[in-house]
Amino acid sequence: MTSRHVLVLAAALAATFVVPAAAQDTIKIGSSLGLTGYGSITDGHWREGLELAIEAVNAKGGVLGKTLQLVHEDNKSIPQQAVVVYRKMMSEDKVVAFDSGCISAGNFAAASFVTRAKLPMMLCSILPQQAEEQKWAFSFLPPPKFEVDSRYEYLKSKTDIRKVGILGDPSPYGSLMRKFAIDDAKEFGIEVVANESYQQEDADFSVQMGRINAAGAGAVIMIGQGNAVITVAKNIKSLGLDKMLLLGSVNERDLLVEAGQVLGERYLFPSPIIQVAIDDLGLITDPKARAAAEAFITPLKAKHGGKVDTSMSSRAWDSLLMLTQAMQAAKTTEGTAVRDAVEKIGPYVGAGASYDFSPTQHVGITRNPYVIAYVKDGKLAIKHDGR
Amino acid sequence: MTSHASTSTSPVRRGAPGWLGRTGYVGLGGAVLIALLFGFVFVKGGYLLTVMQLAMIYGVFCVGLNFFMGYTGQASFGQNAFAAIGGYGSAILCVEYGLPPVLALLVAMAIAGVAAVVVGWPTLRLRGHYLAMATFALGLITYDVSVQWESLTKGYMGYAGIPPLGIGPFEVEDERAKLVCLMVILVFGLWVSGRLRNSRFGRALRAISTSEPGAAALGIRIPYYKLAAFVIAALYASVAGSLFAHVVGFISPEVFGLQMVVVTFTMLYVGGIGTVLGPAIGAIVASLLPEIVRSTGRFQDIAYALLLLGLLVYAPKGLSALSGLGRPRAAEPKPGS
Repeated sequence: MTSRHVLVLAAALAATFVVPAAAQDTIKIGSSLGLTGYGSITDGHWREGLELAIEAVNAKGGVLGKTLQLVHEDNKSIPQQAVVVYRKMMSEDKVVAFDSGCISAGNFAAASFVTRAKLPMMLCSILPQQAEEQKWAFSFLPPPKFEVDSRYEYLKSKTDIRKVGILGDPSPYGSLMRKFAIDDAKEFGIEVVANESYQQEDADFSVQMGRINAAGAGAVIMIGQGNAVITVAKNIKSLGLDKMLLLGSVNERDLLVEAGQVLGERYLFPSPIIQVAIDDLGLITDPKARAAAEAFITPLKAKHGGKVDTSMSSRAWDSLLMLTQAMQAAKTTEGTAVRDAVEKIGPYVGAGASYDFSPTQHVGITRNPYVIAYVKDGKLAIKHDGR
Repeated sequence: MTSHASTSTSPVRRGAPGWLGRTGYVGLGGAVLIALLFGFVFVKGGYLLTVMQLAMIYGVFCVGLNFFMGYTGQASFGQNAFAAIGGYGSAILCVEYGLPPVLALLVAMAIAGVAAVVVGWPTLRLRGHYLAMATFALGLITYDVSVQWESLTKGYMGYAGIPPLGIGPFEVEDERAKLVCLMVILVFGLWVSGRLRNSRFGRALRAISTSEPGAAALGIRIPYYKLAAFVIAALYASVAGSLFAHVVGFISPEVFGLQMVVVTFTMLYVGGIGTVLGPAIGAIVASLLPEIVRSTGRFQDIAYALLLLGLLVYAPKGLSALSGLGRPRAAEPKPGS
């Protein structure tokens, strides 16, 4: 390589960074998503929901007379990359708000400077930890307590099982849920006799299952998403634990079905009603909720077919629609006004759940949205509705 | 056996025509390129400032890693452990105990240094693949500790609210000021690296890299020098971890995970392992390349990997070695001469 080549390379690199400025007649919403890495499944669904909502809003004329545009970037499920893509969307794309995925650490890492820029953040994840940052973030994730309590309520009201073992991953959501699982057990007359951990990449859980069984547990409360649940189900079966129930976490539909085919009706899980009702909206009894679900499921099925997961994408859809509703109400996209408008929306019946944000309540889901479901003939079915 | 350090280019110019010679022009071109990039990013601002800030932090890490892997020719897959000590040390000391950032950084460095001595003394008796596996285990253990010891590290929830760098009432909050501050620290790290490389100590490390038996025959106390290089690398890693904590304001275990090992290895080899400037060049180039191909969308990773492959094929000794291409070849010895 000669000096001429080096100079040519320098010019080429410099030219690559020059982005032509153009007047945009669009409103840009940014989304930091873990499209690769451990968050890829959940955040992939979150993106599906956002894209559907954007199409629906634009089909009705957009927001404030402008077209809505989704700008999403892959944070690779790591915080340092999340910092880069949040900054990129703020400085290059000039987004006016964020609607980001479930990688908590990524959202936490960016929260400080997003807060300083006064941009509202709709999040799939739990809220950031700092009080000042929480003022700008709105969580569309059901509180971990609901997921635990729905399982305990089922055990208490429908079974004789009073001793359980916990098997959980150490993710932020999982860590929070584990605390509730330990603290809430007594409230339901249940004793936690084993408390085991696993990593997402673990390939076998026989040791943990053996310990839980030896401790006298009649059911496993599994805390954590992803395909580990299939391995756990296979371990329970191969160890011959014929009476052990597996109460898994909220999960991807395909994974639920696969685990259900291993353990049959002994595999139970909390599920938002829309996940079960994708083939039969009649299962949703509240007319307002059914209408909201139908508005989402119809375009979803038209675009992706009938075998898609709705637990994540429905809440992404809701989050985007609430954000645009707030912009319409505020008559501006200015961050503070939109943030305040979201807080004033009041009770909102969405496709994935019902939400009720206020200035002091930035976790939108305040009522337990879960039914206990199982897999019947390759489809999800309601086992118990204790809501 | 040849080593990274012994095969690296040095600024020796033999028979170069003209005022600077071809080597000098290529080197100058490279320096101008980096200066242009830095100036462009500084003036343009925006998210590239963040990319460059992270590049500077990784640069500090890689300059340290270069002591152990480049100059000394050893393998370590566990330096992320010391970055974690630095990062969590700074975060905990600042947030929980109210220490000023600079003091917290120094205390964390001291803790990392002691940890490196304690861990390195038995570990560095291993060689080759065994040493690589032992250091890899060190990184994994630290990662697990940072996840599981929630009362200290807050686990996956991470540490937030870490104050920015600063001295007394002066805090470096402006993004451009942060970049300048990080660049000064990296340049200082490079200066120390360059001085040590050409010192008696550095020559001993390079001798070990070339041949351990040969170095021992020359009277070099190999365990002592290996440990010293390991500790220096740990100190640099600790500084990098602390800088990340203060610049971003948040840390969690994922920051110091396996991905950090992969990224820093890439930077080291792209820039030129065993050279003084290579780690910094590699950190800057490997950080900017993904942004150059960002417009490829979902193919970004593939495009980035292809560019890296191209770099490694056409510059196997790293980008910093390109300046040596203009150097006239030494005359082949004639048979019988």
